[in-house]
Amino acid sequence: MSNVVTEISGSAAAVLTPAQQAGLDDPDLLQQCVVEIPMGSSLRRIGLGLSGMYCAACAITIEDALRKVPGVTEVQVQATSQRARILVNPAAVKLSELVAAVQDAGYRAWPDAAARAGHERLRERRVLMWRLSVAAFCMMQVMMITWPQYVAGQDEIPADLWNLMNWACWVLSLPVMLFSCGPFLQGAWRAARRGRVSMDTPVSLGILGTFIVSTGVTFGNQDLFGHEAYFDSLTMFVTFLLAGRWLESRARERVTQSLESMCVRLPEAVERAVNAEEDLSTVASESTPLSSLRHGDRVRVAVGQAFPADGQILAGETEVDESLLTGESRAVPRQVGQMVVAGSLNMSAPVWMAIERLGPDTRYQQIVSLVHQAMTEKPGWMRFADRMAAPFLWGVILLAAGGALAWQWIDPSKSVWVAVSVLVVTCPCALSLAAPSALLAAAGAMARKGLLVRRLDALEALAEIDQVYFDKTGTLTEGELSVVSLATPQGRIAAAQGLPAAQIEHWGLAAALASYSQHPLSRSLVKAAQDAGGWPATSWVDVREQAGKGVQATDAQGRVWRLGLLSWVLPAAAAEAGWWTQDSDARVWMAAIDDTGTLVPETVTGFVFDEVFRAEARPTVQRLRELGCQSALLSGDQASRVHAAARLLGQGEDMVVAQAQATPEDKLNVIARIQAEGHRVAVVGDGINDAPVLAKADVSVALDQGAALAQSQADLIILGGRLLGLPEAVVISRQAMRIVRQNLAWAAIYNASCIPLALAGLMPPWLAGLGMALSSLGVVLNALRLGGARA
Amino acid sequence: MEILYVLIPVSVLLVLAILAVLGWSVHSGQFEDIEQEGLRILQDEQKDKPKVEAHQK
Repeated sequence: MSNVVTEISGSAAAVLTPAQQAGLDDPDLLQQCVVEIPMGSSLRRIGLGLSGMYCAACAITIEDALRKVPGVTEVQVQATSQRARILVNPAAVKLSELVAAVQDAGYRAWPDAAARAGHERLRERRVLMWRLSVAAFCMMQVMMITWPQYVAGQDEIPADLWNLMNWACWVLSLPVMLFSCGPFLQGAWRAARRGRVSMDTPVSLGILGTFIVSTGVTFGNQDLFGHEAYFDSLTMFVTFLLAGRWLESRARERVTQSLESMCVRLPEAVERAVNAEEDLSTVASESTPLSSLRHGDRVRVAVGQAFPADGQILAGETEVDESLLTGESRAVPRQVGQMVVAGSLNMSAPVWMAIERLGPDTRYQQIVSLVHQAMTEKPGWMRFADRMAAPFLWGVILLAAGGALAWQWIDPSKSVWVAVSVLVVTCPCALSLAAPSALLAAAGAMARKGLLVRRLDALEALAEIDQVYFDKTGTLTEGELSVVSLATPQGRIAAAQGLPAAQIEHWGLAAALASYSQHPLSRSLVKAAQDAGGWPATSWVDVREQAGKGVQATDAQGRVWRLGLLSWVLPAAAAEAGWWTQDSDARVWMAAIDDTGTLVPETVTGFVFDEVFRAEARPTVQRLRELGCQSALLSGDQASRVHAAARLLGQGEDMVVAQAQATPEDKLNVIARIQAEGHRVAVVGDGINDAPVLAKADVSVALDQGAALAQSQADLIILGGRLLGLPEAVVISRQAMRIVRQNLAWAAIYNASCIPLALAGLMPPWLAGLGMALSSLGVVLNALRLGGARA
Repeated sequence: MEILYVLIPVSVLLVLAILAVLGWSVHSGQFEDIEQEGLRILQDEQKDKPKVEAHQK
């Protein structure tokens, strides 16, 4: 990323064109950038994204530049987040003026339409931090004043001074009660109004109970409330609870951020060709908001920008970073005619593209919505845990009441804090956080590796699978056919071996011809020749493609070359006789006919296409075996081919062939039989043709090949066709389930040991608060171990 | 020890005052960017001379 940023700042001197200005001054765009609306004022606070800053002093330069723009009231630039917050009069200021001001100063700016979400999060975190600070500060003061009451002997402090101390503590506890406890009391109140109990209910009861009793002791009837005030315990456990909650929210934010950061933002404004017909080398461009793009528009994408939509490259050659789709950060070359997808980054050169799919149809949006779906979904047994929480909480409240009553007989002075301790020490949060925190962290870790989880439930099943069934075609093999060998007068020559010079030349010629055609076999031929190092330039004239037959062209010597079906390539007489009639496997032929109309026999070459296994197929089977999962083939293909594949992939130990020539019903029966034997089965397919089988499996895995992501119903989707993602997913899900079990065990042990201790009067409320905070924090931190390793 | 009757209320008020000042400073963004403010003095008087070429590389 860093080199992309420098390139942008290097070209920052660019002046805005009138067309770009018009795009930026779209009133909708300004509206999207508003992060805050100050109360009772027509001013708006808007966000700008910045780049090209390399030190804190840059922030001041930009601030000064922005402050000079008419209509700007207040500017804040943050060097760390590379964002500007500007208080403006929306009627008087134009976005283009702001952007131009920043560019004049030597930096780059763009409207930050996603600023609001970040702003909200920041505000929430700041409020929570402030609540914690208030509680901690007051706690220290209360402690200081209470300390003499602990150490003083009988009647050493006069009664009125003792009372004054209680008064002081009461005043210092007020900010804690009125402000810091807000989240607990509000949560409990919201639940109570709907007649329910929530996690906050016992804590709130504890807080309120302590405060009421202590207030009674301070102001009122000491005969009724006893002689002890508990302001120190109150402030202390509120502080501990808030500290736990703060740390927990930080930890959780990291998980959601790692999921969100995967979704690179699309640009807000794009450069569109003004005239739809004009040639791309001369056409003028205008800056338009993303929302006004239409199908078929031609758009110029600068270096460092994300592609705004799915489409085809029209002009230029570049490298793109498709880590969004594959989980691998690696520059992939893209040329004219190839597809690029929204959200991938243009890395090396500006290109023109034609837009084919926009908005919700793009793979980018499909992936984003999949990620969001997984983040908000609740697995079945999590809902069960939520249902169990209510009886658990009622139990706690009853236990606390019972404890307080019992201690009235044993030692009335302790009965209040026994009840409070019981209420505070129980940690249903640990129970309810145990699973979701670990599962979300696992989903985040997997998303970074290009593995999308559609249902969180699937993680549990994935951890337990011991059988993996692969579909062959399109799953273990590449989606497209490749040239595996050449048919020559000397017989078959495998393409992987060193070819004789004549065949290399023929292959080059064939690739040069094929580059004029969009037929899948032609593309595969071109791709293979490119991988082998390209081909010499050939000057063809009179290139013609005949649909369903092939391509023909005339070379410099006047010979007509044809590439395509045998019956079309060779003159009728020649097609009947010759060595080429022997080789029925070759589907594509090439030959030259000289200007007298006779065949040049030594130019005849046949190309044999076959499916090739993915490079990752064999290591995947190997890795799965190490993990204790048996792999098997389940294919509709011919038996001999399936067995050959099993031998090839099995490496010594043959891979099990579950069934060849299997119909969809056969496949279903096989899966059902294996499941009846007590195995947990994962099925890997292309996600669409295998739908019924995928639905029957315990876990369905789809290799994502193309645009059909939205139709795929698989539990786990591996982006970019990376088969090795499957063993990775198994490893992560096993870790996740281990952590879930650890968390549940911890929560059970903690609650089972601490509640009796509190009931026995061995645990003062402040210790209870500390224990509860640490226990829920421990659960979340344990889950975070999964997200820890950053990709 | 009679002075305690004055000192305890005074200390309580002081604590509340400190809290209020701290709250104001946090919420008005005093701690937002600590590094940046120290560098401000090193900048030329930019109010009078518009567009000083920033010390770009």
